[in-house]
Amino acid sequence: MNEILKIENVSFVYGKGTPFEKVALDNVSVSFKKGRITGLIGHTGSGKSTLVNLLNGLYKPEEGRVYLDGEDIWEKPKEIAKIRYRVGLVMQYPEYQLFDETVRADIGFAPRNLGLSPEEVEERVIEAARFAGVSPDLLDKSPFELSGGQKRRVAIAGIIAMRPDVLVLDEPAAGLDPRGRREILGGLREYVNTLGTSVILVSHSMEDMAHYCDDVVVMNNAKVYKTGTVEEIFSEAESLTAVGLDVPVVSRVAIALKNRGINLEGTLYTTEGLRDAILSYLKGGKK
Amino acid sequence: MISDITLGQFFPGYSPIHKLDPRTKIILATLFIVAVFVANNPASFLLIGVVALILVAVSRISMSVILKGIKPILFILLFTALINIFMTKGEGAPLVEFWIIKIYKEGIIRAILMALRVIILIIGTSILLTYTTSPIALTDGLESLLSPLKKIKVPVHTFAMMMSIALRFIPTLVEETEKIMNAQKSRGADFTSGSLVQRAKALVPILIPLFVSSFKRAEELATAMECRCYRGDVGRTKMVKLEYRARDYIFLAAFLLIIGLMISLAILPYKFELDGILYGVPFYKV
Repeated sequence: MNEILKIENVSFVYGKGTPFEKVALDNVSVSFKKGRITGLIGHTGSGKSTLVNLLNGLYKPEEGRVYLDGEDIWEKPKEIAKIRYRVGLVMQYPEYQLFDETVRADIGFAPRNLGLSPEEVEERVIEAARFAGVSPDLLDKSPFELSGGQKRRVAIAGIIAMRPDVLVLDEPAAGLDPRGRREILGGLREYVNTLGTSVILVSHSMEDMAHYCDDVVVMNNAKVYKTGTVEEIFSEAESLTAVGLDVPVVSRVAIALKNRGINLEGTLYTTEGLRDAILSYLKGGKK
Repeated sequence: MISDITLGQFFPGYSPIHKLDPRTKIILATLFIVAVFVANNPASFLLIGVVALILVAVSRISMSVILKGIKPILFILLFTALINIFMTKGEGAPLVEFWIIKIYKEGIIRAILMALRVIILIIGTSILLTYTTSPIALTDGLESLLSPLKKIKVPVHTFAMMMSIALRFIPTLVEETEKIMNAQKSRGADFTSGSLVQRAKALVPILIPLFVSSFKRAEELATAMECRCYRGDVGRTKMVKLEYRARDYIFLAAFLLIIGLMISLAILPYKFELDGILYGVPFYKV
């Protein structure tokens, strides 16, 4: 399968040469596939956010290279701004970046920077608002009147409006209630399928990974700990608890059953999957 | 990166200077500033320069950190030095004469003197105050030193609290600015090219979110303080009481000695010659 983003032997150190020096990434190599939702998971301070800031060229790696669609993004440092349009980064708590008078104008900020005509800008604003779940009646309000969840969605729409090849979301659901979470993350699949783009979703919730992602990259201590599809990662759920990550409750039930000699088959990391597995096991037992 | 600015940053440690009472450090810094401005001849500059270097050594702050702290003012330093070199008129014949530019010996001496003064000033005060004193200790010391003014109804505590809040939030604001800048850069904002007007306009997407979050933060802070029954210094007790110790007196005595030496070096009409160089004579009379 095609790789859209690839990182090779990248290292990054904060505050080099001061008493506050901290290695954030230590010789990391990882790739992200086209047309998939890849989850990036790890502890606070495991290097997730640093990695994300390297992907769109906000940070420059001390060592190593970042490739977008096979091209080194730092080959022409003066054109790094173009890379930022292609790798759309939604930062943590993105609602703090809203500034314009109306939601419409704010979502249109990036398209305007791209130099698009007013008609094209408007078209993109409508499209982005739809994917991010911003209802049309909010478009003419001030972004500062909105609720926290609405602001978050407007900020995400502001990035989607660039029509990036890769959409990178850094903890997009942090601090939202379960409903806000579902509203933001639930739309990702449709977005990827409709536009054929790729998504990288940073989170420290294994439940999010299980529900919304195809592939998972697990980070630990400035290094990549494990990569694989969701099935592969969750089939070794025990090794994740070793690095202190919370395994979804469903997986814990599956592990506990396995430890008691009950071998289930199927997708064991979603509630529905486990239910079906248990049901078929029970039926099989009756035979 | 903006966060590389070290000016005004505290580096925790356990050196003798870190352990000094903040009040002592404020007094020492004041004495140091006086000494730097009294200095006017090679001997006194040598003395105050050595004092600054000793302070650096004792504080165990690395020299690279200090050089980084000087970097932001390098431009101003160069600018004033150049102005001094070109604008100072001397008595003797000019050293260099070219078109309308005349450079005199006095101009060069004055330029070096000014630059040295500023560099020594920054090293000394930042070692004594910002690098080795936490902002909280600093304002605590200031409040205690200024407390006599309470008798004439100066709201010393309020000022000290305002100052410590301002100092406390500088790193937060820097971090926040960087975050917002990165967020807007991710949306294709450009802060580095275009005309002056365009660049000023490019700041709007940074300033508005910054103001909004600052106001919000101020409000939250005020609420949090009220929730903990803050009502100024009325009836407030301190967990850590400031106390002068032996080392405070030692440092104070040493500094008074140095000041005395500086003043005598600077104003007393004596001079001595060593290796053909005349010491004790003010630069402007060389």
